Amino acid sequence: MYKAKIKLVYKQVIDAQSESAFEKAIIQASYQEFLLKSQAYNLDGKFKTFSRMKANDGRANSLHYKLSFSVLHFIDQLNNKIPVLKDNLGNKLAFETAAFELIESHTEDVQLHKVAINYQTETLMLIDFMGEYLLLTKDNPADNEPALTFVIKMQPDLSIATYQEIVEEAGSFK
Amino acid sequence: MERKNFLKAFAVAAAAGPLILDGCKKESITKSTTTTGTTTTTTSDSSSSCVVSPTETEGPYPYVGGELTNPLNRADITAGQTGVPLTLTFLVVNANDNCNLVADARVDIWHCNKDGYYSGYANQGGGKSFVGQTFLRGYQLSTTNGAVTFTTIYPGWYSGRATHIHLEVYVNNVMKKTTQITFSETISDAVHVSTLYSLGVNPTRNANDSILGDSATDLANETVALVGSISAGYSGSHNIGLAL
Repeated sequence: MYKAKIKLVYKQVIDAQSESAFEKAIIQASYQEFLLKSQAYNLDGKFKTFSRMKANDGRANSLHYKLSFSVLHFIDQLNNKIPVLKDNLGNKLAFETAAFELIESHTEDVQLHKVAINYQTETLMLIDFMGEYLLLTKDNPADNEPALTFVIKMQPDLSIATYQEIVEEAGSFK
Repeated sequence: MERKNFLKAFAVAAAAGPLILDGCKKESITKSTTTTGTTTTTTSDSSSSCVVSPTETEGPYPYVGGELTNPLNRADITAGQTGVPLTLTFLVVNANDNCNLVADARVDIWHCNKDGYYSGYANQGGGKSFVGQTFLRGYQLSTTNGAVTFTTIYPGWYSGRATHIHLEVYVNNVMKKTTQITFSETISDAVHVSTLYSLGVNPTRNANDSILGDSATDLANETVALVGSISAGYSGSHNIGLAL
């Protein structure tokens, strides 16, 4: 019945043009932290952008996780609901983990500060693809029992993070 | 004002907006105000104009407990981690100014837990992920006495490194020091074989550590003297010398 166990991942890109209070908080807190923590990889202050810092010193990639601590408390307030991803009935999808990512920044211009939060769902059972829609369930019901399902449309910034095919037992092949 | 009351008040103000705008359209506005029994009449300049003030967000997005400061700004960084209690006081001093104390310096501290894991990291071995957690991390601003005191637990260790705690210091938002501290191996070894700690003695000795051990003088200056016991916990004080 089920094709695979999957985990969805949704990437919420946030920058200075983002408008929600949550997004503004993420930008404000992570930018202030960037200005502090990036100094470790820019001791002479000659680099302005995160890209340049990374190119000069790969350890600057530590900023992804170093900055994450400044925004975790905002993510906690989401109560494990992805703020912008809804199924076809308008219900927010739940996430299991949220990983902060620094996309780009500039030491002198918050307008160039861009980050992402990558929300990953728990394991879901993929029942079927219907064009660009996925039919999914969180259940794993016994045979002949109905499963509670939901439908979500594939869209930009949404992807499948993990895929594990469910192989039918030998006796069930025809 | 509670947030819901604030929102109600804002809704009333918003509803009144068109009336205010209508008032501004008049060629001249005569407004009477009464103050303690006397009446004064003010006539506006017919050329003046006014606009409704733009609405902006009410301020920083509050943190989870409603506080407006980062919860990582904290003295107790334990966050549920078990281990031998450790209290560390740091004095921020300026070596270029008679070792005078430095107030309002931001001191960041972080270290691994008793099992050698950092919060915020995945893939540290053992199949455990601590992404989304903030244990054993925090920062404070030094007082007018140049001091910050953190309450934590004695760190464990992980392969390849001596037992250590990370420090960063910022003055006026400028990074002034990145450093690490360690402790007497006599104490570290005793802690690491005590009941709560399962790792045993750290095979990487302080003097052999790739970072702390590269200079005997530096190692001496980075080794914090502690008093206490495994049952009562340990405490110590350490000067962070800056060249400001």
